[in-house]
Amino acid sequence: MRTETMRKVGGISFKTVVYIILIALSFIMIFPYVWMIFTSLKTGLEAMDTTTLKLFPEKAMWINYQDLFKAVPFLKGVGKTMLIEITVIPIGTLVSALAAFSFSKLRLPFKNFFLLLLLSGTMIPYAALMLPQFRVFYALHMYNTLWPLILPGLFGNVIMMFFFIQYLKGIPTELIEAAKIDGAGYLRIFFQIMFPLIMPAIAVQVVFWFTGIWNDFFGPSIYLTNFNTQTLQPMLAKLSSEVGGGVVGLPRIMAGAVVSSLPILVLYLFFQKYFVESIAITGLKG
Amino acid sequence: MEKVTVKSSLFKKEKLVAILFIALPLIGFLLFTVFSIIATGVLSFTNYDGIRDIKFVGFKNYSDLFTHQIFKKAFWTSVLNTLFLLIGMPIGMVFGVILATFLNSKKIKGKKFFRVLFYFPAISGAVAINIIWRYIFNNEYGVVRFLFGKDVYWLSNPILIKVAIIIKGVWNGLGGTMLLYLAGMQGIAPSLYEAADIDGASDVQKFFHVTLPLLTPVTFYLLVTGLINGLQSYADSQVFAQGDPGAQTIVYFIWERGIHQARYGLASSASILLSIVVMIITVINFKFSNRWVYEN
Repeated sequence: MRTETMRKVGGISFKTVVYIILIALSFIMIFPYVWMIFTSLKTGLEAMDTTTLKLFPEKAMWINYQDLFKAVPFLKGVGKTMLIEITVIPIGTLVSALAAFSFSKLRLPFKNFFLLLLLSGTMIPYAALMLPQFRVFYALHMYNTLWPLILPGLFGNVIMMFFFIQYLKGIPTELIEAAKIDGAGYLRIFFQIMFPLIMPAIAVQVVFWFTGIWNDFFGPSIYLTNFNTQTLQPMLAKLSSEVGGGVVGLPRIMAGAVVSSLPILVLYLFFQKYFVESIAITGLKG
Repeated sequence: MEKVTVKSSLFKKEKLVAILFIALPLIGFLLFTVFSIIATGVLSFTNYDGIRDIKFVGFKNYSDLFTHQIFKKAFWTSVLNTLFLLIGMPIGMVFGVILATFLNSKKIKGKKFFRVLFYFPAISGAVAINIIWRYIFNNEYGVVRFLFGKDVYWLSNPILIKVAIIIKGVWNGLGGTMLLYLAGMQGIAPSLYEAADIDGASDVQKFFHVTLPLLTPVTFYLLVTGLINGLQSYADSQVFAQGDPGAQTIVYFIWERGIHQARYGLASSASILLSIVVMIITVINFKFSNRWVYEN
């Protein structure tokens, strides 16, 4: 009885209040994206209109998107980002999965020491590592190439490896022991038994890593300084800082922001369960 | 006897294979982490700028951060800015836990929709988000001028630009915080609430005396990761603030002095100090966590 009276606030039920808050919040969450999309279709003058707050453009200026591709080699930037994705992710994932297999199912000497060592590395801020790396890559003539962004990933991803180790805890060791007694080689055990079993974990991590590389800004902005060598994100940032002031610039920049967000949105709609799962799992175990 | 030797040679082979499988991550760790952090440490005691002959200067770079006429101001501004921006963290946590409570209620429908919607900003690229919000906060033609007028200079006032970044940051991180709290709430046994019901506890009492204490592991996790990420923020200074001094963070300082101006020695000393602080926070947090974090 008591809770019933508590739930009525001035004649409006508690439930209604919650719905109003949730819907208002939904509006706030979605507004910047809506504003971005409509601005990308406005003329420069409309976008900088200081008298009214008009959401819709007078006429949809799809030419802004054409202008974007003409002003900067945007598709080339997307291609470079994709080149990093398709070299780093397959190799890096395989390396991480093999290492996780070794850590959790093989007789690895000094297991805990090696694991702690690798994990301790993730505590160090990137800012404390980037200066010598920058000088070395610079000396190796890799400045303004994709190598500094590809090479480190080929050695695996410790966070991903740790995630796999956690996942492998749920898989009985007897399965591997039995295969060993049958005389199966370690690589065969890995590819035929382990790989199919950790496929769900791999899928989650690959989607996550793909998003991470797609959105990566700091590293690429250090190594790639001109439009012809840049990946997507630093190109977008450079575009916004260089032509940001001009009247024609704003809708074009928003067009760039739309194009850069679209693939992630599609990926998210398809795999939202993975994203949600991944944050819940890494969050509570970390 | 024969069986034993076969077994031990098998073990030997397995050990070798096991080491081989972790070889690449270990080599990567040595090349990219161990080498780099040692080199940063060494550089922090030199005058290295990529041109002049390298010379050891002792603790000069470190003392320059605190006493040099020009660098002192920039360094302290960046430290204070970074700390100021951390205010967003507790704000986001309060909003996140309230939102999770709403979405955890059995009576609310469309939970999945709200969850998916609120989490999207968390996976969007930082550059696009900063571009949109910079436009929104433009006092001349941004959306905010309709709420606060043209005379509020969000992007050039040193305090307001940080407030703007905090607002943007709370919007950005809300979905992630909410999801973690939600996952934590779903792990709480319903019997605890039933027991509280029998004792005649109100919903508010249940929230403060059952839900919140049981969520301390999540709060703790958010606190540690929030601090560690917050101390390393960079894109906000570079893209949202376009390098405005009012929002230059520590990592921006390191980037500007190190990469941009090639003062490797000075920048290295700042990044060594940052690493020490980050590691101390991690250790302290984990050491003291068991005093107030609920564990079952």
